[in-house]
Parts: sequence; structure tokens; C-alpha cells
Amino acid sequence: MDIQFEKVSYTYQVNTPFSYQALKDINLEIKTGEFVAIVGHTGSGKSTLLQHINGLLLPTEGRVQVGDFLLSRKNKRQDLKKLREKAGVVFQYPEHQLFEETVERDISFGLKNFQVPADEIQTRIMDALEKVHLSEDVLAKSPFELSGGQMRRVAIAGVLAMNPEVLILDEPTAGLDPKGQQDIMNMFNHLHKTKNMTTILVTHQMNHALAYADHIFVLADGSVQMEGTPKQIFSQADELKKANLDMPDVLSLIKRINQMFGTDIAYERRQPAALAKEIAERLRENKRL
Amino acid sequence: MKSFMIIGQFVPGNSMVHRLDPRSKLMVIFTFVIIVFFANNSVSYGWLTLFALILILLTKLHIGYILKGITPVWFLIIFTFILHLIITKEGPVLIDIGGFAIHKGGVLQGLTISWRFFLLVLVTSLLTLTTSPMEITDAIEELLAPFKKIKVPVHELALMMSISLRFIPTLLDETEKISKAQASRGVDLRTGSIKDRVYAIVPLLVPLFISAFKRAEDLAMAMEARGYRGSEGRTKLRQLQFKKLDYMAMIIYLLIILIFFSLR
Ligand SMILES: Nc1ncnc2c1ncn2[C@@H]1O[C@H](COP(=O)(O)OP(=O)(O)OP(=O)(O)O)[C@@H](O)[C@H]1O
Ligand SMILES: [Mg+2]
Repeated sequence: MDIQFEKVSYTYQVNTPFSYQALKDINLEIKTGEFVAIVGHTGSGKSTLLQHINGLLLPTEGRVQVGDFLLSRKNKRQDLKKLREKAGVVFQYPEHQLFEETVERDISFGLKNFQVPADEIQTRIMDALEKVHLSEDVLAKSPFELSGGQMRRVAIAGVLAMNPEVLILDEPTAGLDPKGQQDIMNMFNHLHKTKNMTTILVTHQMNHALAYADHIFVLADGSVQMEGTPKQIFSQADELKKANLDMPDVLSLIKRINQMFGTDIAYERRQPAALAKEIAERLRENKRL
Repeated sequence: MKSFMIIGQFVPGNSMVHRLDPRSKLMVIFTFVIIVFFANNSVSYGWLTLFALILILLTKLHIGYILKGITPVWFLIIFTFILHLIITKEGPVLIDIGGFAIHKGGVLQGLTISWRFFLLVLVTSLLTLTTSPMEITDAIEELLAPFKKIKVPVHELALMMSISLRFIPTLLDETEKISKAQASRGVDLRTGSIKDRVYAIVPLLVPLFISAFKRAEDLAMAMEARGYRGSEGRTKLRQLQFKKLDYMAMIIYLLIILIFFSLR
């Protein structure tokens, strides 16, 4: 499903003294199968933007096209359930949405709502569990006796079980330890690669945006300030600074090394180990000079 | 969701009414609520209405916003009017529709009662519009302090009140977030049978309760960690202090009341 925002503005609490324009004239396009990152300072409107994709919010002005669905003020009375089945959202701290007595029932909650046939539900649950790397033992447990990281995985499994075509992630790694963050990001990356799932990731971690995204949108103050490939975005350090964002650690490190030793090492999406190897080699050459 | 909840929601500002000591405002509102019931002719009603209008002007809030804010109450006001119109059978008949008569007394009674109601709601909503919940609870605690002597747990009541007020917006936020998350998992509160819709509330309520309990626990822990031990010997950061503005306002208000009683 291609996604297109056309001149989208959104104002919270219109016509009150509290009205606040969170999105201003947003134009953007996300193609099927892309991995897109949306980054921006806190309060820049990232979550607001995400909620337009599955119709939780309708634009105050402009329109959003998601596959066959046209979302706009004028088009209020349509059945959004079909859209929500295809565009799954993992909210910030998704474990807060757990409520069932057992993990199994919580994962199947969405499936039942979307009228997935009963004989299919079991296989879907198993699939989802495998995707999030949880063992079958948790199925009978109460979600509330799991650890925070496990709860997060259960919540994510509940969304993945719906087999969405578009996966929308609002800071899915917030509050996890570094290892947990890595695991979850690798999992989403794997899903994206193997299932060709369109993935839209909101993140504060420039490292994640750099490592996984094909395309990055930088939001500042409700507008798209920059867009492009990670390479294009992160070559404009000054612009980034204006949006209150940092450079990814790897890039800062490589830049410093290049400056200090006059080398020209490039990142090229390599794993730390591979990069370290090149850096070591180059420095050794450098010493010989 | 939030847009429906603006009945008397605090709007920060710097008007004269905003700057008054919350105790003054509370006393004015409290006496006003009683005084409204003493109005007995159009002049005295007019005088109170004028007072309310001037108050509105002094708050510098948009009058349209205030009137819209009391929307849910409009229904009650109109209902009151119609009720009196129908049940009061005094005075000459004005209209007679198929044996169903509307009397002059009914019209008058309906008008005065609903107008009284309107004034009450309007003025009390001005209090909450211009005073932060924290100020209101502080004021209540101060004004009720004498009752501590007869073992009324004034401080605890005020604390409970301020904590609940503090968490209303948080809970509303949470409700909105969770209902959005469940809507994304296919919950639909707008269609389906009544039974379906009642069941659809469970996925909303359970997470809400869990987070509310968690919050309460965290809060209690944080308060103890910061040495909270009840009101005994506890000092205040924001001391309430009557200022010149308050004395002036009180004097003017007294005059208004005196004039009101002479107009009856
Ligand atoms: N329900 C609401 N009512 C009024 N204003 C809101 C509401 N939700 C968000 N806002 C405001 O809209 C702006 C954008 O909010 P949004 O949640 O989209 O930011 P964000 O980029 O996701 O921030 P963060 O990184 O902190 O999650 C913020 O300034 C916020 O205060
Ligand atoms: Mg957000």
C-alpha cells in the first residue's frame, strides 16, 4: 500500500483556547516495501503524523491516501476497520494496552475483532510468537506476570498476528535495555526484509534511523524539514542541529577519525566489527606513512 | 475526547479575576450561589446578570468560549424551563393547544428558575476557568482550617482532592492513548449492538485501572521518599495572601450585595 500525504495540517482542540497546530502542510510519500524513519525533536508531531496513517486522526486540512483509502474531513463516514487491519500500529509503550487474562487471548484479541476464521487463529498466534522470539510457555501465562521486555514482545505479537501490510512503529524500543533494543530492531528489520513489509519507524535514535531506514523524514515544529536517504540527511550536520537532532554515533566517530588521521573511511552500513577492522587497517597504514 | 471536557477547564491568564486570591473568589462564589435565590423581581435579576456580565468581561475570556463550555448544562436549563412551563397552572391562559394550556405563571416561573440556574452555572464556571485546581484546593484547605479543631481531616481531604484533580488530565490522556491502541486492534465503539459496545469497554478499563493503581503506588512511594508525613508541621511554598486587589474587590462586592437587597 502506497501512502501519500497531501498538504496535511492537523490542529488539536480546534476552536478552543487550547488549540494547537501539530502538523503544518505536510507532503510526503511512502512507497510499498520501503523502510522509512521519521525523526524529530520531542513535540515535533511524529506521533500525530503516524495516527493519520490508520485513520485514528483525520487531517484538519488536506488528505491522506493509504492504498485505496482516502482519508479526509469530507470522507468521515467510511469503514476504517479494513484499513486498521492492513496498517498495524505498535504504539509507544505498547505493553500498556495488554488486558486479557492470558497472553494467548491477548494476542488473538485483534484477530477476533477482524473476524479471522477460528481455525486460522492458532497458526497466526504461533507465527507471531515465533517472530517476536517468545516460547510457547508464555501463552498460558497472564501478561502481567511477564517482564517488561516480554510484555512488549507480547504486545508486538498482537499487532504482527494481524499480518499487516504496513507496520507503523512509534518508538518501539523506548525504555528497553541496549540488548533488548537491538533484538527488537533486528526483528523488525528481518520482517521488513523477508516479508517486504512497509515499515514506518518513529525514533529518537539516529543510530537506528541510520542503520535500517531507506528514507528519512526529519520533522521540526510540525513540518517536514528535511527528507532523503540516510546518507543525504546525515551529510547535513548543520541542518540536523537546527532540528535539535544529533549525528549517529558511528558517523561522528568516523568523521573524527577521518579528520585526525586524514583517512577517508566511509560507513556503508557495515556492522561495527567490519568497520573496526577497516579502521584498524587504515590506522596501521597511516602509521607507516 | 478532550474537546467535550471543557466545562470550567482552567484557562491560564493574567486578568484581574485570575490574580484575585482564590479564597476571595471562593467566598464570592459561595455567597453568590445563596444570594441568587433571593432575587425576586426583574430588577434584582437584572442586577445579578449585570454583575455576571462584568465578571466575564474582567476575566478577558472569550464569551463564546464560556457559553460553549457550559453546553451540557444548556440542555438542563431548557429542560427546566419546559418543565415549569407545563406544570405551573397559574395566572391567565396564554395559549391553549387542544386542551393543553400554557399559563402566564408558567412562563414566568420557567423563565426565572432557568435564568437562576443559568446564572449559577455561569458564575461557578468562571471560578474554575480562572483558578487552577491547586489554588482551589489550597483555598478550601485554608477556609476550612477552623474545622480541624473538631477533628475534620481537612488537610487529608484537600490532599485527596488535589491529587484527584491533578490526575484527571493524566487519566484522560491515558484513556485516549489506550482507546487509540485498541481501536488499532479493531475495537469499534461506534457500531455494533449495545452488548458488543459494553464488552468493548473492557479492553479500555482494565489497562486504565492497572495504570491508575501503579501510578498511585509510585506516587505514595515518591511522597514518602520526600518525607511526607501528613500536615503536622508542614510549611507551604505558595502562601495565600490577601492583597489590595482582594480588599477592593470585597468592598465592591459588598456594595453590590447591598444594592441588590435594596432592589428587591
Ligand atoms: N491530545 C492532544 N491535545 C492537544 N495537543 C496535543 C495532543 N496530543 C499532542 N499534542 C501536541 O501536539 C504536539 C505534537 O505531539 P506529538 O505527540 O505528535 O509529538 P511527538 O513528535 O510524537 O513527540 P515525542 O517525541 O515526545 O513523542 C505536541 O506539542 C503536543 O503537545
Ligand atoms: Mg510521540
